[in-house]
Amino acid sequence: MKRFLSLLLTLAMLLSLVSVSAVAEEAPLVIDIYDAAANYHGIQTGWFAKVVKDRFNLELNIIAPQVAGNELYATRAEEGNLGDIVIVDKKDFSDLLAAGLVRDISDKLPECENIMQFKTQIDVYNKGLTGEDGKYYGIPSEMTDTSPTTLTDDVIYSSPMLRWDLYTQIGQPEIKDLDGLLDVLAQIHEIHPANDAGDPAYPFTLWADWDGNDNMIGIANVVQLTTWYGEKIKQSAILKPDNTFSPIYDRENAYYKITKWLNKAYQMGLVDPESGEQDWNSVMNKLQTGRADLMWYSWEVGFWNSVDRLSDGTAFIFIPVADQLYYADADRYYGSDRMFGIGSKVEGEKYDRIMAFLDWYASPEGVTFQHAGIEGLNYTVGEDGKFVPFHDDALMANLPVPEEYGGGGYNDGNNAINQWIASSICVNPLTGERYAQKFWQSYKDMTMTQMKREWQERFGAEDAVDYMKKNGQLLASPSVDFTPTPDSNDIAAMRVDVNKTLCTYTWQLIFCETDDDFEALWDKMVEKMDGFGYKELYENDVAVYQAEVDAKIAAAGN
Amino acid sequence: MRNKERRINYKKRRSYIEFLYILPFLILVGAFSYFPLYGWIYAFHDYRPPFPITNETFVGLKWFQHIVSNPVRVNDILRVIRNTFAMSGISLFFSWFPMVFAVFLNEIHCRPYRKFVQTVTTLPNFISWVLVFSIAFNVFGSFGAVNSVLQDLGVISKPISFLKSSEHIWFKMWLWLTWKNAGWAAIMYLAAISGIDEQMIEAAKVDGATRMQIIGHITIPSILPTYFVIVMLNIASFLSNGMEQYYVFQNAFNQDYIEVLDLYVYNIATSGTGNYPLSTAISMLKSVVSVVLLAGANGFSKLVRGEGFI
Repeated sequence: MKRFLSLLLTLAMLLSLVSVSAVAEEAPLVIDIYDAAANYHGIQTGWFAKVVKDRFNLELNIIAPQVAGNELYATRAEEGNLGDIVIVDKKDFSDLLAAGLVRDISDKLPECENIMQFKTQIDVYNKGLTGEDGKYYGIPSEMTDTSPTTLTDDVIYSSPMLRWDLYTQIGQPEIKDLDGLLDVLAQIHEIHPANDAGDPAYPFTLWADWDGNDNMIGIANVVQLTTWYGEKIKQSAILKPDNTFSPIYDRENAYYKITKWLNKAYQMGLVDPESGEQDWNSVMNKLQTGRADLMWYSWEVGFWNSVDRLSDGTAFIFIPVADQLYYADADRYYGSDRMFGIGSKVEGEKYDRIMAFLDWYASPEGVTFQHAGIEGLNYTVGEDGKFVPFHDDALMANLPVPEEYGGGGYNDGNNAINQWIASSICVNPLTGERYAQKFWQSYKDMTMTQMKREWQERFGAEDAVDYMKKNGQLLASPSVDFTPTPDSNDIAAMRVDVNKTLCTYTWQLIFCETDDDFEALWDKMVEKMDGFGYKELYENDVAVYQAEVDAKIAAAGN
Repeated sequence: MRNKERRINYKKRRSYIEFLYILPFLILVGAFSYFPLYGWIYAFHDYRPPFPITNETFVGLKWFQHIVSNPVRVNDILRVIRNTFAMSGISLFFSWFPMVFAVFLNEIHCRPYRKFVQTVTTLPNFISWVLVFSIAFNVFGSFGAVNSVLQDLGVISKPISFLKSSEHIWFKMWLWLTWKNAGWAAIMYLAAISGIDEQMIEAAKVDGATRMQIIGHITIPSILPTYFVIVMLNIASFLSNGMEQYYVFQNAFNQDYIEVLDLYVYNIATSGTGNYPLSTAISMLKSVVSVVLLAGANGFSKLVRGEGFI
């Protein structure tokens, strides 16, 4: 009997031990992330979900207004709880603070060592937000560890890029201006009317999905190309290279110049007839299958260029146009346009766990997962401890992930938050190299192909940025901490109509049959935009963005 | 005396019970038709998310004045109303189409073939407009099937922009709507046709009536009441001709003619920062126009039948 009792007691003790250890381990918790950057709505799945689950026992419920509709913002704000973590545009963040939807994180943030490596930037932002020292509400995103005036990248966000083999076939001609570029594109179109599968290829294939995005009115394809002439669109105004503003529809400005140029391209038969009726997905497919002969976003080449194509010389690369002045943003030292914050309803243990998660999110391990991927899938570690690229098609081909990392497709399980605290330009203390693959010495060696050597010889420069600097064609704009004032309803009403008018007419302008039609339609557009209150809108935007320009001038002077 | 009292009590109780029969429907109407009217208060406030509406945000009729004070805006709204009327009008004008379709479908005697036609025409009703557009894009796009065939045959040298032009856009929209809905709408008429007394048709056959005579004198008159009910319902939703179809088909080249009231309201509320008060104010306009239409129809009914329905 005694023996039995002692056995029972031991068993009971053991059981209680087990239950104690279970309590000590954190209970599973789902956190809601209201995420203006996400392209995925729902619970994070796949390998990144496993990474987070294993470390924090957290599940990430991504709430994505880009997927589920902007109405989410209004309805959730009305409920008084946007999410546990909120990732919103900078201009909305001050509103959230005023409406009491984000909480004070002054107590916990200073303890977050990884996040606080960006203390300078975080201090500047929060001081601007509250006017007080030591009060923290928001964490800027994609901050760099360089400086506000450095330009680390070897290519800039937008510049003309052609396929090297096609450019070589037509004799690598010098390009003086936009007309020269059209001539080159016409020649390329002649020798490359279709891709290998026989589907028609065009120099220009345009899409309308992104029109009016990113605080710039007008159609995205034109808006982006204005930076080739040093002109940057700030909502309804154009910022000229001399730091003065000018209305977007003035005929001396780049918006007119580029629209006119695209119309000329259309009249020459160089514009894909599906432009304007297709969406971005269709364009992406064309980029991947070699049906576009001109690219202008630096990231677009990712759909085509590969180590193989760089080796056989069929990759896209920057081709300079002599009369252009390329506008580029310097490293985003103060971060991008989005902010991280914590919802005002978050308290107690949940708050601790979320802050711990965010700090990890900015840690070398976390950032490596976000920007470099998984060891053994996306990279291997060399003898010197530095990373070597491996499977550079993991994202595009949605490669299967090893079981130990949770299995599934790589792209399917990729980090759905889609916004980072630390930029990929930051240096990884584990390797001493930057996080992004394109900066690794191993990658540079791999891609230093015959094609690149030919390019260097032809243009007498190391890379695109080097060429622009040597030839005085680069206009780098320093990073500053700036938050645009949110639109009042009156301004918002004007902006909706002015933007819609500008977009609708720009598309029609590109497809005008004659120059006379073009000019007449342009006048009609200006008249209608004015009718919707363009002038007032322009004055408002200039007043808002003058502060940013002043800060940039000051930063450049330092 | 007592008996009478009891009868009155019984009557009273019964009326309460009978009231309970309609109560669920009253609740439904209240919840889905009257409660949403509460949202109209946004038109009287300077509402901007994430801030809640308070006494300070009240601006009275500011947004209504905004609509009428700007001639460009007024023109824009008139354009949108024109589009709404035109496209609803075309649907209304051709509302006999599913009925005729059902009648002819009923005349097919080969059962498997009839079933096949019915299934094929009903199926598109279950496809979302987004998918309908992707079908349209693949068939009628610049590199779509139609253009490819025409180009291969040498009929045209440059692709025809079916989707990128505003020519006949109202009629094209009606064609898509009909392709999607005709089979579904015909089901109602097929049911009505199956309710026709067989004896009448047989008697007519004995009397030597031809097929067309049977259709003209028996089938169609028998299903006309169904037709009128459906037309009535169509008129009721004259201004709410849905926005999904126009939303997926809209582009810079046809927007002037395709934007209907619902889509216009949606575009104002959701593009860019958006403006909820203004779009609410414009959507209230819909109710105003509906009331005008209703009064008009009522007056017409009084004139023709001597009695209105209100």
